[in-house]
Amino acid sequence: MAECGFAVSVETCTIVQVEGWPETQAACEAELSRQLGAALPSAFGEAVPVGGWLAVRVAPRRFWLITEDGPKPSWSIDPALGCSLSLGEGRMRLKLSGPHTFDVLKACVAIDWDSPQARPGSALQTGFHHVPVLVLRTGTEACDIFAPRSFAQSLVDWLADIAVSRDIQIK
Amino acid sequence: MNSNSKRLAKGGRIDRGRPLEFSFDGSKLAGFQGDTLASALLANGVSLVGRSFKYHRPRGIFSAGAEEPNALVTLGTGGRREPNLPATMLELGDGMIAESQNRWPSLAFDLQSVNGLFAPFLSAGFYYKTFMGPTRRAWMFYEHFIRRAAGLGKAGMEPDPDRYELRHAFADVAIVGGGPAGLSAARAAANAGARVALIEQDFRFGGQLLSERPGSEANAWLEALGIELRGLGNVDLMARTTAVGIYDGQVLGLVERRDHAQASGRVRQAFTILRAGAIVFAPGAIERPLVFSNNDRPGVMLASAVRTYVNRFAVLPGRRAVVTTTNDGAWRTAFDLAAAGAQVTVADLRATLAPALQAEALRLGIAVRPGTHIADLRGGRALNAARLAGSGAETEVDCDLVCVSGGWSPTVHLTSHLGVKPVYREDIDGFAPGPLAGGQFGAGSVVGGYTTAEAIETGHRAGIEAAAYCGKTKPVPAALQFQSTDLPAAAFRGVPPARGKAFVDFQMDVTTGDIALAHREGYQSVEHLKRYTTLGMGTDQGKTSNFPALSAMAALRGATIPETGTTTFRPPYTPVAIGALAGRAVGHHLKPTRRTPMHDWHIANGADMLEVGLWMRPYFYRGAGRDVNEAYVAEMRFVREAAGLMDISTLGKIDVQGPDAATLFDRVYANGFVKLPVGRARYGVMLRDDGVVLDDGTTTRLGEHRFFMTTSTAKAANVLSRLEFLLDTAWPDLRVAVTSVTDEWAAMSVAGPRSREVLAAAFPTLDVSNEALPHMGLIGGEFDGRALRVIRLSYSGERAYEVYVGASAGEAAWRRLIEAGQPFGLRPYGVEALGALRVEKGHVAGPEIDGRTTLDDLGLGRMVGKRSGFVGDVLRRRPALAEQDRQRLVGLTCVEADARLSGGAVLFKQGETLKGHGCGRITSVTYSPTLGAYVGLALLAGDVAMGDEVVAVHMMKNEAVRARVVSPVFLDPQGERLHG
Repeated sequence: MAECGFAVSVETCTIVQVEGWPETQAACEAELSRQLGAALPSAFGEAVPVGGWLAVRVAPRRFWLITEDGPKPSWSIDPALGCSLSLGEGRMRLKLSGPHTFDVLKACVAIDWDSPQARPGSALQTGFHHVPVLVLRTGTEACDIFAPRSFAQSLVDWLADIAVSRDIQIK
Repeated sequence: MNSNSKRLAKGGRIDRGRPLEFSFDGSKLAGFQGDTLASALLANGVSLVGRSFKYHRPRGIFSAGAEEPNALVTLGTGGRREPNLPATMLELGDGMIAESQNRWPSLAFDLQSVNGLFAPFLSAGFYYKTFMGPTRRAWMFYEHFIRRAAGLGKAGMEPDPDRYELRHAFADVAIVGGGPAGLSAARAAANAGARVALIEQDFRFGGQLLSERPGSEANAWLEALGIELRGLGNVDLMARTTAVGIYDGQVLGLVERRDHAQASGRVRQAFTILRAGAIVFAPGAIERPLVFSNNDRPGVMLASAVRTYVNRFAVLPGRRAVVTTTNDGAWRTAFDLAAAGAQVTVADLRATLAPALQAEALRLGIAVRPGTHIADLRGGRALNAARLAGSGAETEVDCDLVCVSGGWSPTVHLTSHLGVKPVYREDIDGFAPGPLAGGQFGAGSVVGGYTTAEAIETGHRAGIEAAAYCGKTKPVPAALQFQSTDLPAAAFRGVPPARGKAFVDFQMDVTTGDIALAHREGYQSVEHLKRYTTLGMGTDQGKTSNFPALSAMAALRGATIPETGTTTFRPPYTPVAIGALAGRAVGHHLKPTRRTPMHDWHIANGADMLEVGLWMRPYFYRGAGRDVNEAYVAEMRFVREAAGLMDISTLGKIDVQGPDAATLFDRVYANGFVKLPVGRARYGVMLRDDGVVLDDGTTTRLGEHRFFMTTSTAKAANVLSRLEFLLDTAWPDLRVAVTSVTDEWAAMSVAGPRSREVLAAAFPTLDVSNEALPHMGLIGGEFDGRALRVIRLSYSGERAYEVYVGASAGEAAWRRLIEAGQPFGLRPYGVEALGALRVEKGHVAGPEIDGRTTLDDLGLGRMVGKRSGFVGDVLRRRPALAEQDRQRLVGLTCVEADARLSGGAVLFKQGETLKGHGCGRITSVTYSPTLGAYVGLALLAGDVAMGDEVVAVHMMKNEAVRARVVSPVFLDPQGERLHG
C-alpha cells in the first residue's frame, strides 16, 4: 500500500554568481556586503540571507546569490574587483518535502542528514547520480536541490523511482 | 527421508509454530522460521548437498557460517536465479527454491565424478602442463571443455525482475560483528552518546552465543542486551548485512540480503556505503578444520558448526559422532551431542587431557581417545566409519558424523583490506590484525579474546574508545558480564601427515599432495602456492583453508609460520551480486540523460532520438525519410538548397570574464586571440600538454573583458576542467573567471542559402544583413524578455547562424524559427545530417580529433604559423610528431561508380598485402547528395600522394573498395557559400 510522504516540484529560480579576482577577493566581498547590507557567508555550507537574497559560498572566491521571486540584482561589481554572471536560466530548483524526503535522498546523495553540517538552513554541494548539485536544507523534512536544467528531468525520474521502491507515494 | 527426521523434539531458536516449505533439487521439504537453508536440509536428513569443483566428489554441509566451502547452492529460478550461495547463510523463506550445482544428471549420480578416477593426473598445474600445446591457440580449444567440466553454478540469462538499491548511511561508530564483542561495543558506544551502526551478517544477533544451550545464561544476556540496545534509540541494528569491504576514510561497503521472504520485483539486496567516524572490528574467528585422508566426506563438519546445529536449530546431524580436536573448546560439542542423545567418541590429538574434561565425558558416556587422530574415513555419499590411529593399533569406529576442530583463526579479512598485513601471534597460534589505523579498534576473537568474558570486556573497551574518538564521552555503565561455560580454544599443532587424499581447500579441491607438489616444483611462496594450486581462490576465498595450507607449506619448507607468511586479503569478504553494486543504475537509469530545452518539441515532431554522451539529440526526423539513411540525405538537401534548423544546445558553452581573459585564450589556444575584436568570433584549437589536439571550437568576444567560448559536445567538461586546472595551478595570478553556461543557453543553428531570410523573418528587429552581421560576426538582442545572441558561424559549409537564447525561451525561439522559416523551406535536421554536412566540407570532429592527432596531421598547422608560448607548443615540436610519414587528414572518393566507403575501414597502398594495420583508416563517411557519391575523411600515411589510389578494407564486412586520395574539402573549397 503506497504511503503519501514525499512531494517534488520543479521550479525556476534566479541565481547570480559573483566572483572576486585572486588579489581582490576580500575587497570584492566587502563591497558586495556593503551594497547588500549584510555580511556574506564566511565558510562553505553556510547559506545567509542578505538583502532579499540567499548567499551561498560555493567556491573559495565564488558566491551564489539565490532568490525565488526573481528581483533584479541591485548591486554592481567593479570589474577591477570581480565579476558577476546570471545563472538562473541554466538551473532548476527541485523542491522536496514530506516525512520521507530524507529516506528517499539516502539513496541519492552522500549527505549525513543528521549531522550539524546538514541542519536546516545549510547548503551542501554534492553529486546526485553523477550530476553536481547544490542542496539547500530548507526544513526538518524539506530541502531544495539546484540542478543543471538539462539533467533536471533525469533526477526527478530517479527520485520517483526510489520513492516507488519504498512504497512512498509522490505528490 | 522423513520430514525433519533429524530435528530434536524441543529446543532451538526456531519458531515451530511457523513451518516453511521449500524445495531442494525438486524435493519438497519443510523447515521452520528461524532455520537457515543448511539447518533445514540437515533437519531433513539431506547430507549430500553438492559436488566438488574439480573431482566432483560428494560434499555435505561443513560449517554454519560464511566460511562454508561445500554447500553452495543456486537459489531461485528464471531471472531471479542466483548461483554459488552458501546454504549456511541463507535464511529459510517460504517457497524457497534451491538446487545443487556442478553435477549432471543428478547430485546423487554425477557422471563427472569419474574425474576422481583420474585424480592422480589432475594434480596442481595439470592444465598448465597439459593444455598448452601443440599450438599457441590450443588453449582456446581446450578451455571450453575444461570450463564446462569444472565449475560452480550458473546465473540465469533472463532479466532479473527484482530491484537492487544503493544507499548512503552514516554513523559515529560502526561495529562489524554482532556477537558478544560487537554487542558489548555497541552498548558502550551508544551509552557514550555515539550514533552506532551494528552490522551482523546473520539474521540474528549473538554470534557464537546463539549456539549455547537453551536456557543458558548466554540467552538471558542476549535478551537483556537486545532490549537495552533497541531502547537506546541511537543504535542502527543492521542484521542480514555483511561488511564486504573497507575503504579509505572509514568507509564500509555493506550488502544486505532481503530475499528470505519477499515477492518478486521488490528490493532483493541493498548495497550501503557506510561512512563512519570510527570502526570497531568484532568479526570473530573461524574454526580450522583438520587435514586427514578423505576429510571431505559428507558428514565431516566443523565442531562449532555441529554445536550450532544442535543448540540453535535443534538439529542432530548424526547419531554416532566422532569429535576429533586439538583443543578443549571442541569438547563442548561432544558434551552437547551426548546430551542430545548421540553416541560420541572424542579423538583428541593431545596425549594429556584435562581431568575435568575426562570426568564430564565419563558422566555423559563419551568414549575418550587421548593422543589419537583420524587416519581415514570410510563412506561415499555419507559416512560409515572412522579409522582412528594413536599410540596403539588402528581401530575403526562406526560413525555418521565427524566433528573437527584444529583451533581458531581470527577473521582478519576486513582489517587487512586497506593493506594492513596481519601479524602472527604465537599465543593464539594464528594471525591477528596488524596495527590498525586511527579510529579503528578490534574486539573479541579477532584480537585473540577467545572467551566470552574477554569478548565482552574487549568489546566494551573498544566501544568506549571508538566513541571517544568521535568526541562522545558520556559516562558508560560497566560491561554487562555473565558466567560463561567457555573452554580454552588454544590449539595444539602437530597433525600427523595424511596417507590418502586429504583436502586443505575443499572448494578448490586442493590437497596436501598438491601443496607438496607445488613445493617440489618451486612454488614455495604462499602467493605462488595460491596461484599454482588455486588454493583460496574459490568463492569462499579460502576462509577455512588459509592457515592449514600455510602450515603445511611451512612444514615442507622447514620454516616458521611468520616466515612463511600469509596471502593478501582483498575485498569483497563474501561474493557480492553485480546487481547489488549497480543498485538502481540499470536500464534507463544507468546514467543520467540530458535534455535540451527543445527536447519535447523534437519528440512531438517525429525525431528519432540518439544518445550522444549523456545528451539526447535528434538523430533524424521521420518526416524526412523512412529510416536514417533516407532521412539524412533528404535533410542535407534542405540545408544545401534552402535552410535547415539544428538543435545545437549540447555544445559546451563557457563564460570567460576578467581583465586577463584574452591572455588566457592566447595561452590555451594554439592560435592567437588577443587581437580578436569585440563583436567577432574566431575558430580556435586547443592542445594538450603533449602537443596533441584536445578540442576545437569558436570563441566570441562579447566585450573587452568578456568572451563566450564554445566547445565540442563531447569535450565540454574536459575543456572547462582544463581551464580551471590551468588557472588554479599554472596561472593563479590571472584575473579570469570561467563558468560553464552550457545549460544557460538554448542554441540552434540556421543553415542554408536562405538562412538569412529565415532569421530576418523570425527576428525582424535584428539587422542580419551581411554588413551588420558578416561571417564570424555577432549581434545581440532580446527574445521574449531573454538575452539573444546571434553569431554567424558555419559548420555545414553553408551560410549559417548560431542563435543563442535563454534556455527557458529555447522552445519558443525554436518554434518561432520553424514558423518563420516555412516559406523559405526551412526544415529541422538531426545529427546524422549534421555529421554528413561537415564531412562534405572537410571539417574535423571527434573521429579525427581522437587524442592522437596533431595540428599538422589535421591540416591546421597553418593557423599557428610561428606563434609560440601556448599550451602544448613545446612538446608538439617533438621530432616524432613532425615526421613526414605521419598519418594526416585526406579525402577519399570511390574509384568505381556505385561503390561505397565504410567508416573504420583500414587503408592499404596499391599492391600492399591486405593484412595488419595498413597505412591509414577511414574516420568519417557520408553519402554526398551534392556529389552523388560516397565520400570520406581519412587519416592516411604522409607518403601516399594526392591522386593515388588506395584500397579500403573493412575486415568485419569482408569488403574491399578502391578509393582515390583527394582534398578533404569536397564542397565549396573557396568558401563562397559562407560569405556574402
